[in-house]
Amino acid sequence: MNLKISALEYVEQVKNGDISAEDFVSSSIDRIKNVDDKLHAFLQVNSKAVEHAQQIDKKIKSGEKVGQCFGMPISIKDNICIKHSKTTCASKMLEKFTAPYDATVISKLKQEDAIFVGKANMDEFAMGLTTEFSAYGPSKNPWNTDYVPGGSSGGSAVSVSAFECIASLGSDTGGSVRNPASFCSVVGFKPTYGLISRFGLISYANSIEQIGPITRTVKDTAFLLNILSGLDSNDNTTIENGNQDYLADIDSGIEGKKIGIIQEMMGEGIDPSVLSATNDAVSKLEGLGAVCEKVSIDMVKYSVASYYTITATEAGSNLARYDNLRYGYEFPVEGFEFNSYISKARAKFGPEVIRRMILGGFVPSAGHAGKYFLKALKVKSKLTKEVKDAFKKFDYLIAPTVPVLPFKLGEKIDDPIALFLVDINTVMSNLSGIPSISVPFSISNGLPIGIQLLANHGEDKSLLQAAKALESTVNLPEVPI
Amino acid sequence: MTKIGLEIHCQLTKLESKLFCSCKANYREQEINSNVCPVCMGLPGTLPRINQKAIEKATIIAMALNCSTPEKIAFFRKNYFYPDLPKNFQITQLNIYGDTSVGGTGSIMVGDKKIRITRVQLEEDPGRLIYEGSSSKNQITLVDYNRAGTPLVEIVTEPDFENPKQVREFLNILSDLLENLNVSDPSLEGAMRADANVSIEGGNKVEIKNIGSFHDLEKAVHFEITRQESLHSREIPIIQETRHWDDKRKITISSRSKEEELDYRYFLEGDIPWIKIDSDTREKLRSEMPESISSKKNRYISEYGIPGQVADVLSSDKFYSDLFDKSHSQTNAKEVANIITTDLMGLVDTREKREQSKLTPEHLKDLADYIQEGKLSRSSAKNALYEIVKSGKKLSQTITELDLGNLSNEDELLKIIKQVISEEPKAVEQTKSNPQTINFLVGKVMQKTKGKADPSLTLNLLKKEVE
Amino acid sequence: MVTEEEIEQVAKLMKIDVHDHKEFVEKVHDMINYFDILDSAGVSEEEISMKDLPLTSLREDKHIPFGENLIEKLNNYKGHYVRAPKMV
Repeated sequence: MNLKISALEYVEQVKNGDISAEDFVSSSIDRIKNVDDKLHAFLQVNSKAVEHAQQIDKKIKSGEKVGQCFGMPISIKDNICIKHSKTTCASKMLEKFTAPYDATVISKLKQEDAIFVGKANMDEFAMGLTTEFSAYGPSKNPWNTDYVPGGSSGGSAVSVSAFECIASLGSDTGGSVRNPASFCSVVGFKPTYGLISRFGLISYANSIEQIGPITRTVKDTAFLLNILSGLDSNDNTTIENGNQDYLADIDSGIEGKKIGIIQEMMGEGIDPSVLSATNDAVSKLEGLGAVCEKVSIDMVKYSVASYYTITATEAGSNLARYDNLRYGYEFPVEGFEFNSYISKARAKFGPEVIRRMILGGFVPSAGHAGKYFLKALKVKSKLTKEVKDAFKKFDYLIAPTVPVLPFKLGEKIDDPIALFLVDINTVMSNLSGIPSISVPFSISNGLPIGIQLLANHGEDKSLLQAAKALESTVNLPEVPI
Repeated sequence: MTKIGLEIHCQLTKLESKLFCSCKANYREQEINSNVCPVCMGLPGTLPRINQKAIEKATIIAMALNCSTPEKIAFFRKNYFYPDLPKNFQITQLNIYGDTSVGGTGSIMVGDKKIRITRVQLEEDPGRLIYEGSSSKNQITLVDYNRAGTPLVEIVTEPDFENPKQVREFLNILSDLLENLNVSDPSLEGAMRADANVSIEGGNKVEIKNIGSFHDLEKAVHFEITRQESLHSREIPIIQETRHWDDKRKITISSRSKEEELDYRYFLEGDIPWIKIDSDTREKLRSEMPESISSKKNRYISEYGIPGQVADVLSSDKFYSDLFDKSHSQTNAKEVANIITTDLMGLVDTREKREQSKLTPEHLKDLADYIQEGKLSRSSAKNALYEIVKSGKKLSQTITELDLGNLSNEDELLKIIKQVISEEPKAVEQTKSNPQTINFLVGKVMQKTKGKADPSLTLNLLKKEVE
Repeated sequence: MVTEEEIEQVAKLMKIDVHDHKEFVEKVHDMINYFDILDSAGVSEEEISMKDLPLTSLREDKHIPFGENLIEKLNNYKGHYVRAPKMV
């Protein structure tokens, strides 16, 4: 069974009767059994996946209407709720939490007959960019298992990259889809804020995060976006997209389009191989008829500080509900006074989560909000304006997804500021709400480099066209696992 | 000078669903933790879905209190840990980024005193705690979240009250106003709660929290003033603090926890966009507001000539004014008002009795018409009303069953009159010297007819007979 | 400059028992110090803006029960209550 096919190829082959959903899904499960000991992409594998695939095959045979996914195996980041299944956010705090409802994206995928092969590993509560902060142990980069796969949707990116499934859903708060996509050489997309419903996504920083697909090809992302996007009455922050078909015209190309190269994302600290890959990408796009020019977005310098201030504040509030009273893990309340119980119960959070929550208590507090939180919001506002201005001149912006190459496990985990700076190229689209995508571009010393393209608010379709054009210029080696 | 300010919490009990989910707004009389869903239980991944009508109702409260209403409203998170808060933050409103709560500054007249309103805000009610356990060692707290997410409007006043009497008058006006707006039923247990702040001349401000009813609010304010005055007279300083109202002992107690140390870390609730209420929408809401109590009162006086005091009583209670408005005609209005204020109010004086009453506007209309047409005496009407409230039967049927109809058949009446004349020769004689004695004879006829004789007909016939 | 006491105070506010004190305080300290860069962003004149929705697009006031006995799926006591520690 060839597991190395794209989502659209899978659909085609099942439709044609070349392969069955059951054969493909059971091969995927076998693959997980074979490689996941090394990679640890999954926190949980769905034991009913093959059975489910059999049902879909039956539906196909009987001529019943079958959903667009035809039993396609997909992994789901473990911060997205699937009814009756454990959703832990890779935290000990939610060790025993079983979601009693489906996230909107899950309902939509179920309707289209997707099969969830398992819950993907992540940094605890999506706080991190290496997946090393998972309370259940890190995921490993399939390109070199000594290296981090990126994060926080590390498990998702690994599972797609290592052919354990066809596609995955991650969540992107400050780069958490794009960063691991870049490190694992797969496509990672962060849509315009509100394009995909967050209902059922366990919040980290709700005002800026989005669920995003991780796929092998740009077209697969467009295919999934057709299913996932649109207004949801369960999420008041979703936006109308007029039922756009993101696959249609995806080959439009980028001839005559203007692309701005963001200077602040290619400066100090950038790895030379990343810089040369980016320059190479720019020439290739020019070769396709695009016009590329340098552009400066001043607020990028302050974006990481703004990002961490806002996310810490929202996380401090979003994670307050984990008091272990209504759900959580075994820890009886008898004999405790309220405050001491809650404080002990919450000590089960991992150290990174605790650090960020302490920050989240500090920066918006009565005495400090003026110095930190309000300024962070103002930087966000000004950055959004600057980005808007840039799009008056340019159709797209470009920058490396991550300014550095994947690094070794344990290399940066103890240096929070070094980790902060890895985020510098990705947080801008979260703070300003615009769509951005990481496209696999090159391999340097066996380690992947992704290139990030960004478009104006609501221009997701046009962004996918540009990404498709960039994708068409590369021919990358296969993952060595 | 004594200064009292209030924070009134009023549940929007007339709504069907909670503020952010589709669970029942009326959490009362339900199985413990049965009126809950993933949203109001604050389960991971859930998002608030705001109830449009809640914003509309809160906005008309603000309008009725003459508050400014902004173009856009915003919601904020108030962060603190408490077991009755499923998310450990409360979604509420504030005015830290400009006026963004449903109501800005306003005022309301209480007699001649103007009470300024600081703001009106919409927020979610927490769940309820039940304490359990015998010894202090195994003591635990049980929580029922049925109430969590019930829409709550908070009305904050400036410290403009000078004494408990003004507080009481304000609360009466406010209850009537909220009921009349059809937003809340103030008589429901827990529907109205309050915090107060009290300071006397030369003393610090003291907050009193946790006052569970309007009735207790007046008592709590009174207690607190007395306590502060007593301290003051003994030259003991009044410290700035938060006290709790103990509704069993009816006293205020100093809170052991230092609430002033709480830092709520207010910030915008990102899951709810700002909500735009443009001027057209606001005008529409204003035009759909129920008629105000004072306008009703004026209408009753000027259109029907109902006496001021009767109009006052009638207009201030929505239950009665609704009945009146549905049953009266131009000709019987005074009679309907009379029946309601003299007879009905005594019959259905509690919430339960109102709910059980089977009286319809149709009944009231018939009663008034029958009285005006002389078919029913006032005293029989009262008896009929008593019956109808219980049975809901038609007036005509009630009259037959209880044999209440007026005796207005001249022949029958004449027979009885003649009988009375023969039995009371002395009185008949006296009518010649003292015309007032005729009333004694009317009374005798009434006795014999058990009050059913048509009084004016009886008088006319008697006069003819004794002459 | 953030002091150790301040951080402890915040840990209390956020209700988390902190172990590994020294290392913890150092890291949080470094993170907060990094945020000082915001002082030089020159954004004091900036206004905070948010997306808005028209009032008429919100949820209808209708009671729709969840349809399942949710409490059975959560930590419960005697099948009904949620248990919390004693309050002081």
